[in-house]
Amino acid sequence: KLNVAVEAVQRGLEGLTYLLTESSKLMISEADFQDSIHVLGFSDELNKLLLQLYLDNRKEIRSILSELAPKLPSYHSLEWRLDVQLASRSLRQQIKPAVTIKLHLHQNEDQTTQVLQTDPSTLLHLIQQLEQALGEMKTNHCRRIVRNMK
Amino acid sequence: ILDDPDLKDIDPTVLKHCHAAAATCILEAGKQKADISAISTCLEDCKLDKERIEQFCTEYQKNKDALEILLGSIGRSPLHITDVSWRLEYQIKSNQLHKTYQPSYLVTLNVENSDSGSHPDIRFSCTMEQLQDLVGKLKDAAKSLERATQM
Repeated sequence: KLNVAVEAVQRGLEGLTYLLTESSKLMISEADFQDSIHVLGFSDELNKLLLQLYLDNRKEIRSILSELAPKLPSYHSLEWRLDVQLASRSLRQQIKPAVTIKLHLHQNEDQTTQVLQTDPSTLLHLIQQLEQALGEMKTNHCRRIVRNMK
Repeated sequence: ILDDPDLKDIDPTVLKHCHAAAATCILEAGKQKADISAISTCLEDCKLDKERIEQFCTEYQKNKDALEILLGSIGRSPLHITDVSWRLEYQIKSNQLHKTYQPSYLVTLNVENSDSGSHPDIRFSCTMEQLQDLVGKLKDAAKSLERATQM
């Protein structure tokens, strides 16, 4: 339908793909993009189209590329339940509170679930530790690094 | 017990029987959380004399709490979380993607198996928002625990 040879279309596609992914990966500015494609000697109108294509799709391309980096399973969600153990085969008349947790993790399209349990004091300890972790990003040290790395 | 010099004059089979009987009695008492009077009555029915009953009960009382803890810990349960560690990273780039500039947390949950005791840790990564979600849900659980204890 395009009246062009198959190889030409294929090469055109590959070239376009390469242009867009490299530009998105490096997150180059508009000016740099324009300078880069200027060398190819296309018409101004085509250059404008390419730039628009780059800007429109850059975010999505970057999010797809971020999936390719080495990763650990990542947190997806968590469900919890309060239980009290009243008796067991080896001991009657207990009152043993526990929190049962279902942890949902994702890894490269696999979804795993872990059922875990913890006691009240460990739960409070977990909360305290993780709140400290959250607070770290707000410290001066981290703020300085974030500022200087841009 | 079989090596104890004080007991070497007694027939080992009898010794084993006594040991088994005593152990069974103690474990049943512990399991049922029997009080001293119930144990005494039971031992009286077995025709033990008063002095021996008293000795038994005193020893039992001394070790009752440890016994209950031990009995309570027997049994299956899901993996038990014992501790958590975290690591905060700031990602700059990967070979697939440059200029990422994102904080990311690596959380490790130390867990224990009720059967074998140890188990490989559970590790996962999360963003700040995800960690906030996690902590929020844990706090909900803690609040509802608090409310339950006040009922």
